[in-house]
Amino acid sequence: MATGATHKELETRRVQRPVGNIWEEDGKVMLRLEMPGVTRDHIDLRIENDQLLVRGRREMHDEDQNYVIRERVRGDFAQTYTLDDTIDRERIEARMERGILIVTLHLKDAVKPRRIEVKAR
Amino acid sequence: MNLVRWRTPGFDPGQELERIQDEINRLFDLDYGDRSTGLFDRATSPAIDVVEQNDHFNVYCDLPGVDQKDVDVSIAGNVLTIKGEKKMSSRGEKAKVFRKEEWAGSFQRTLSLPASVDPDKIQAEMTDGVLRVQLPKREEVKPRQITVNVS
Repeated sequence: MATGATHKELETRRVQRPVGNIWEEDGKVMLRLEMPGVTRDHIDLRIENDQLLVRGRREMHDEDQNYVIRERVRGDFAQTYTLDDTIDRERIEARMERGILIVTLHLKDAVKPRRIEVKAR
Repeated sequence: MNLVRWRTPGFDPGQELERIQDEINRLFDLDYGDRSTGLFDRATSPAIDVVEQNDHFNVYCDLPGVDQKDVDVSIAGNVLTIKGEKKMSSRGEKAKVFRKEEWAGSFQRTLSLPASVDPDKIQAEMTDGVLRVQLPKREEVKPRQITVNVS
């Protein structure tokens, strides 16, 4: 997914860590990150080596504004997670809803809990 | 009258240690989770921006994951109140939680508006988890261009 920004531009922008929840259920690891003000097109989600890089670009248009109160924290949202061997790299889904990014990381089938039938003789 | 010599507080190792701890926490972003304690701090009273433009004010408030129907924007006299409830996101009962930083609960923020705002024309909308309240100024206080005729 393209963010429309060059690498250099991203490096010089201020970042903040999004509020995040991580949980595991039904063979999936879910990631819920609060990124208010970020549209779907401004999400950059990529895997580099064993790292999941999440970046949400948010535009505040600060230069040309006349602020009476200015309390909101500035900056893009950025977070990096290290993926272990149990995560299936090919099956990662993401969706954006009301400023919340939800990433679904499927576990590899091999590590999912399996029930082994005990046969009686 | 007795004159008592003023003494500087001096070096308090306990206080210094606390200060250093605070600074290190800030450096590593560890004090993040503590923001939801207390009644009137940032978490229950969300951070806002107010921007003045020529003919209106915009109030911005970050409310990620909050449903439109859970936000209540009201005005009484010249006091604007933004209140609502941020609900905890749902997950399955068998979920194994590794990290939970999300905050849920009710929030409220009140603002005294300048007299130039027209309370009848206020609009509010939610986009991408950000609430924007538009407060138009009264007609009579809007800046006007006056042309000077030179004869």
